[in-house]
Amino acid sequence: MKLSFSNRVATILTLGAITSLSHAQNGLRDIPDTAVEAQLNAFKLIEGAKINLFASEPAVANPTHMNWDQRGRLWVVSSPLYPHIQPGQEEQDKIVILEDTNGDGVADKHTDFATNLHIPTAVLPGDGGVYVANSVEVLFLRDTDGDDVADERKVVLSGFGTEDTHHLLHTFRWGPEGMIWMNQSIYIHTHLETPYGVRRLLGGGMWHFRPETRRAEVFMKGLVNSWGHVFDEWGQSFMTDGAGGQGINYVFPRSVFLSSPGASRILPGLNPGQPKHCGVEALTGRHVPDTLRGALAAPDFRGSRINLFQLTDKGSAYTSTQIADLVSSTHGAFRPIDVKMGPDGAVYIADWYNPIIQHGEVDFRDPRRDHAHGRIWRITFDGKELVKAPDLVKASEADLIQHSNAPEGWTREAATVELRARQPEAVQAALESARAPAGVDPDLFALRKVWTSQALHRFDAAGAAALLSSSNHKARAAALRAIYYDAATNPEALALAEKAIADPHPQVRLWGVSVLAQLSSPDTVKIALGALEGIELDEFLDFALWSICREHADRWTAAAQTGNPFANTTQLLFAVRALNQAVAVPQILSALGSGELPSDAQVTGVADWISKVGSAADLNALFEFALTEGAKPAHQTTILQALANAGSLRKLKPAGDTARLSRFLQSPDLATFTSAASLAGLWKLESAREGLRAAFLNAPTDEAKGRAALEGLIALGGPPTATMLDEIAKNAQSDYLLRSLAVIGRTKMDPNEGAKLAVAVLTEAPQGKDLHGIFDAFLANKQGPVALSNALSGATLPQAIALAGVQKASSAATKPEALVAALQKAGTIKPMKMALTPAEMEAMMKQVATLGDPHAGEVIYRRAALQCVVCHAIGGAGGVIGPDMVSIGASAPVDYLIESLLEPSKKIKEGYHTTLVTLKNGDSFAGAIAREDTNELVVRDAIGKENRIPKTEIASNQISPVSLMPPGLTAQLREDEFIHLVRFLSELGKDGDFKTPSNRFIRHWQTLMPHPSTRDRIGHYGTKIFTEAVSDYSWAPVYATVAGAVPVGELPEIEGRGKNRLGVARTFIEVKNAGPVKLRITGKLADLDLFHGDTEIAMPDGAETEITLDVKEPGRQKLTFAGLKGYGIEGVTVEVLDDASRADLVELNNF
Amino acid sequence: MKSPSFITVLSGLLTFGGILSAQEPTAPLLQSGDRIVLVGNTLFERARLFGQIETTLQIATGPEVKGITLRNLGWSGDSVFGDSRSYFGPPSEGRDRLARNLGETTPSVVLISYGTEAAMSVDQGWTDDAAHAAATAAGIEASRDVFLAGYEALIELVRKTSGESLREIVLISPPPLENLGAPLPDQTENNRRLAIFRDGIRDLAKKNSLRFVDLFAQMGGDSFKGEVAKPALTEDGVHYSEAGHAIVARELAKGLGYSEGSLIDRNLPAYEELKAAVIEKDRFFFHRWRPANETYLFLFRKHEQGQNAKEIPMFDPLIVAEEKKIEEARTRVFAGMTRN
Repeated sequence: MKLSFSNRVATILTLGAITSLSHAQNGLRDIPDTAVEAQLNAFKLIEGAKINLFASEPAVANPTHMNWDQRGRLWVVSSPLYPHIQPGQEEQDKIVILEDTNGDGVADKHTDFATNLHIPTAVLPGDGGVYVANSVEVLFLRDTDGDDVADERKVVLSGFGTEDTHHLLHTFRWGPEGMIWMNQSIYIHTHLETPYGVRRLLGGGMWHFRPETRRAEVFMKGLVNSWGHVFDEWGQSFMTDGAGGQGINYVFPRSVFLSSPGASRILPGLNPGQPKHCGVEALTGRHVPDTLRGALAAPDFRGSRINLFQLTDKGSAYTSTQIADLVSSTHGAFRPIDVKMGPDGAVYIADWYNPIIQHGEVDFRDPRRDHAHGRIWRITFDGKELVKAPDLVKASEADLIQHSNAPEGWTREAATVELRARQPEAVQAALESARAPAGVDPDLFALRKVWTSQALHRFDAAGAAALLSSSNHKARAAALRAIYYDAATNPEALALAEKAIADPHPQVRLWGVSVLAQLSSPDTVKIALGALEGIELDEFLDFALWSICREHADRWTAAAQTGNPFANTTQLLFAVRALNQAVAVPQILSALGSGELPSDAQVTGVADWISKVGSAADLNALFEFALTEGAKPAHQTTILQALANAGSLRKLKPAGDTARLSRFLQSPDLATFTSAASLAGLWKLESAREGLRAAFLNAPTDEAKGRAALEGLIALGGPPTATMLDEIAKNAQSDYLLRSLAVIGRTKMDPNEGAKLAVAVLTEAPQGKDLHGIFDAFLANKQGPVALSNALSGATLPQAIALAGVQKASSAATKPEALVAALQKAGTIKPMKMALTPAEMEAMMKQVATLGDPHAGEVIYRRAALQCVVCHAIGGAGGVIGPDMVSIGASAPVDYLIESLLEPSKKIKEGYHTTLVTLKNGDSFAGAIAREDTNELVVRDAIGKENRIPKTEIASNQISPVSLMPPGLTAQLREDEFIHLVRFLSELGKDGDFKTPSNRFIRHWQTLMPHPSTRDRIGHYGTKIFTEAVSDYSWAPVYATVAGAVPVGELPEIEGRGKNRLGVARTFIEVKNAGPVKLRITGKLADLDLFHGDTEIAMPDGAETEITLDVKEPGRQKLTFAGLKGYGIEGVTVEVLDDASRADLVELNNF
Repeated sequence: MKSPSFITVLSGLLTFGGILSAQEPTAPLLQSGDRIVLVGNTLFERARLFGQIETTLQIATGPEVKGITLRNLGWSGDSVFGDSRSYFGPPSEGRDRLARNLGETTPSVVLISYGTEAAMSVDQGWTDDAAHAAATAAGIEASRDVFLAGYEALIELVRKTSGESLREIVLISPPPLENLGAPLPDQTENNRRLAIFRDGIRDLAKKNSLRFVDLFAQMGGDSFKGEVAKPALTEDGVHYSEAGHAIVARELAKGLGYSEGSLIDRNLPAYEELKAAVIEKDRFFFHRWRPANETYLFLFRKHEQGQNAKEIPMFDPLIVAEEKKIEEARTRVFAGMTRN
């Protein structure tokens, strides 16, 4: 007998027999040992590294950020008040100065500099005091009498938001040019009155602030929790995100990333699917091992580890490759949230020390929150001497300039900060006579002189201009960045930017565009678009150009009314598409007609743009182009799709004779037919009805075409469609698919009529499954749920189909409670009990801890029926609809996991809220807002489909309290299975088998579905047949396990000779340049066949081998594996071996 | 400075009350039991850190007027359209929020101060209100007209939502900007613009029969010729320092009908106690009306932490307790003044 889940909970309780502990004490069981030794024993370090405790409570408790002063003292802010002040609680958060006076690597002196702060989240010594982020303000605190205790407190900036205390202004850092850089996160809305006017930043982003001029400007926008920012040696900015999960992000002026409110376009990070990070630091200096020097260290606070990434140049941006972890820990309260190189060349880590992270998921007042502990750790490397930090305070200006060229990033930054405190005239004199220290790149030396001049606020514009002639593109890009900040008042800036636009390197062009964006010249866009010429445009440069076309639209649109203000039509098309307005339409259409825009991408570009902004006459011109004799079929398809979009989104059709559409309704091509069918309906072409009807009735043979025809028939509408659908749905002899589609179609036309038909059709659902989406049709319409619940009144449904309906309705953003109740009644389903009492929860948690098997849990997690993998990825492998689970176990307590599985809507991760958009016609769309612009909103729904919605059609738009994750997904599990599943989730990200390894395992695979021809052909040709492009082979996606292996037991059985059954899997890697690519393969190699393209690669005996692919043709490389089921194929891992010279040339995750 | 006796204070009030500003004589603003509410941007928001405005007014009224309380709704970067108050929504939601806060704080007197944010942002735009954003970036006249239209709507909102105890609305012109010398920017042009906004606010007050305090004129804005301020009253040319706030408070009191002589000698020990209680009360009130974590306590993630919203009203008794201290300290101040 199958028990309902609530019954099983009762069983667990009886078995568990633990009723005495209170809920609060129950939680305390999770608290790790607070002893320093316990943490020390739990560390795992990269080879050759050692770790020691630098400082701990009571000197520091819950550190949130740290920075060094020029004297080599570490300033730490800590906030036991976090997450929220209690009424009556004093504002007593503090800044402590930690000092290692005898150089033994342990702080032996600590001084409370300030003890009167409110959730401070950043600290930055300099300018004779210290800058502190103190919730709504940036304070400058100063000690005026030498006792290292602040006695002067001034507000430097105010107006920062506090909507979420883990999003507060944070991540202060001195830039090489002597400005303060500071970040804010997604929920923060900031409004500053600066001496230069109001500056607002609504949502996440990064500011730069020059204290002496009080100029604060927004540099970039977006990122969810932008908790890390570092400059590389050449002054380029890289950021990390505590919730976005794209690893390292390359940012530049006006760049926009994930989650920026109202963004119509965003840029990706460099490591999609990576863990989330807090802080980032570049490993620099002589103490760091050669192999790690230059790597970026990013703390994965959820997974209690610090990831390392290596950057390599790629176009205008970079490739970021994850290498080994610097340190990881099995101690659940180790929360590295900041990492900084120290004055001795060692790596220092601020450990927030808390078993609970952040504060959304767990009650503010949860007793498991730690408010007392905090650790600063120090990592050193064997066989490498520590660095002796220079005495910067006593150093001469000339010496300081030498120090600002030190190999250690700490020394360079501290020297710059010290130089700011000196007499500018003295520094300038020293700069003029300075010579590059031995071994320092002359361009880098020249750049640092320019930076120092900026730090003094005496910008050496000539020095920057001279650097633009460097042979090194990094120096040229850096010079433009130096020019960028004050470009508006620099008379040379325009000419320099113009030169940069023609630079052979795309990154220099990107910075040229960034400088132009600062200028008031009427020609900025005209000059900028020159960057399109002569190189391959990548996403980052494309974004910069797109941005300036929009920001400076008023400088070119008047000229584009009648002519082309730019050098050619390609540039004009780029600009008008970026602007997304009806500017220069005749010029573009005429260029299309005359063949000036011949490529597929250009035709698609024109069609897409005209569909959004064009008039009826413009649409007709497009239509004519598709009808032209000899038009390419691909262009015709593109144009019909564009016309269909214009018809559905803008209710606009071509001004000419629309009946000419009929020829496309004969098309064998599905995409063309789909658009044509949709257009026939939208354009009310009655003459097309018969053809559509025939295609619809043929749906059992060609469902896709049938569904497309149905859409056309619905749009044609009227009694003929209604009658036809009614007849089919009512005819019990009709094919079940046709009947279902008839109900769906009728529901789209009129939910009440659809509902009348639905009950009978649902009653006959095969195996109680809603195979064709009848419930979805009702849920997608505002009146649908009420209509269906009315029709269900007094009716009965088989239990299984009613249950399917309840599941779908329960996860609908509209919360159709009446429908859920009606379905439960019709199916005689007792409501499932999903909420656990504290005592039940406690018993369950104990079961997870004692009986849960994470390995069994992983198999359950991957079950198709549970659908976890469809929506969630682990380390980037899996769906993108829900949050990546890569380190959920290390960040979320077990009770949170259980609750989230049972009641998905109770706690929803930021960035994953469902937005419910209701249209004026009653249609509703639920999902995440993918992007928006002035005209349309794009909503990504629960199956990942993007729906474009014209803003003019929107009746309401609200954040739904309902998760996209359906409740009851786990109801099908037995209790032991549920417990294994929770245990698996709770291990994810913790040190052990379920921490996604940093090795570059291939995680995206495709598996061959059974095919009738394999049995015979394999006998003749062997496993090579799987490399062939057989057109009706069907390949399904499959993701590697957390450990990186092809999953056991999930590959379908492919018939071979006799009773042989094989598993076949293939993958692709993208290789940029020809040359060798090294792979490590593990598995039962003797039983495995491997092909690179169609060339077999011999496998040795044994369990592990390294092979080298000889890539002659760059591009997608296909690797096909075949092995006997139960022998060769399962558990295979394929890893791209780290080889810095190839790192940027091989890309995974590319299909 | 020598402390004036209470008699001198009274006579000062009677003799000089009307001639301290360039405006028409005004009767003292406050009555016993008045609830003052401040609505504005950075000037008022930072006033809570210094306590000078309330402390000065508490004393200026003299001992006969009792039970004055003040709620500071200043918000950095705010505009007459409610930009800073809107959180996740458009500025109209900021105005909704202000309306709610006014209803909750039941003012009898509302002091409004806006204008710096707009005058300084001419040609850049200073509001995200969709209907007005473009105009605020289109030159000074357009910007001023939008500002005044928004201001008038704001006055209407204050009238409608403050409740029955509302007695007076006072428009306060922004104080002038200062030149602090390079590398800080020269504010001469912005001061000229600010004077234009000030003129508009003055006319608006007249049109609506409201009191107007010309802090700009009283603090020398009209005679400003671009000289570098000595001593500086602002931190950055815009935002008044603690010393600057003392002057702002004094001039504001004068503009509200109080004489020079009624103002407090800041050397009295009880004055510091009074000011400390004012600052502490304002600190509690800040956590009450603008709590951190609003997203979790009241907005779209309240299903996660809404259970903790119950803590926020627990600041109310703390505020009341500080107000008792304010009243007691005030009594001691007056006692000190008389004793002298």
